[in-house]
Amino acid sequence: MTITPQSAQIGDMIPEHAFGPVTRTTLALYAGASGDHNPIHIDLDFAKRAGMDDVFAHGMLSMAQLGRLVTNFAGQSNVRHLDTRFTALTPVGATVTCTGEVKDRREENGETLLTLKLAAHINDGTQTLKGEAIVVV
Amino acid sequence: MGIFDRTTQGHVTPAVEVTLERGAIAFFAETIGETNSVHLDAAAAQAAGHPDVLAPATYAVVVGTFAGQQATRQGQPDLLTLINGDLRVLLHGTEGYDYHGPMYAGDTVSVENEITGFTDAKGGALEIAHVTTRISHAERGLLVTATRGIIHRLG
Repeated sequence: MTITPQSAQIGDMIPEHAFGPVTRTTLALYAGASGDHNPIHIDLDFAKRAGMDDVFAHGMLSMAQLGRLVTNFAGQSNVRHLDTRFTALTPVGATVTCTGEVKDRREENGETLLTLKLAAHINDGTQTLKGEAIVVV
Repeated sequence: MGIFDRTTQGHVTPAVEVTLERGAIAFFAETIGETNSVHLDAAAAQAAGHPDVLAPATYAVVVGTFAGQQATRQGQPDLLTLINGDLRVLLHGTEGYDYHGPMYAGDTVSVENEITGFTDAKGGALEIAHVTTRISHAERGLLVTATRGIIHRLG
């Protein structure tokens, strides 16, 4: 049975969400769509001069996927808080898989709130994001 | 020694107004793979009870970036210039949002950044700038508070 905010209990995993593979085209489009023109994500010459082997994905492209994970589950109007720490770079070619675990369910000021522990991993198992969301049921 | 200009601690940037554009929100939504039509199409958004296309959850960062571009056009430094960010060694460390209300296409919002402080980590191998961005609407008040940690890899 699919977990919903109404049914979610501590320890439940919410429906996961995957995005990718992240291509150079994805990064070019994200640069344009987000206004983040940092060349480290789109210009291989710049990345190499900065000592990197290749360009890498915008962290916020992956956080956008955490956003989709949580809004798909709870509905955007019910999301009170979303945060993440970027724990590893996401290389070109990666697929980003986002997961969320219900860490807390509590009543507060007449509302039911869920705290979700969020993570993103790429294909090789590296965790790239570690986050948290608070949603109202 | 770090690269950030730490004398900017406590600085609050002048408020910049940004108008959210329908096409820009839809372009962003498509780029992140969003399939919920409330982020893509005005008629679908209105059918779902919204006044216009709804900005996705992480669009707050885009509004902040657009505000920085607007500031530059008005002859003010953008945030990274202000704190002396160096793109060659810059990483995004953390990002967080507290949501107080939705942002829609057509909204004109006011954006201000506060440089709340600087810290060091990993025995000085990293320095972190901490920034809070507040996005407000004239009638609906504070919509989003964003906090960000911007990292320099040193040495």
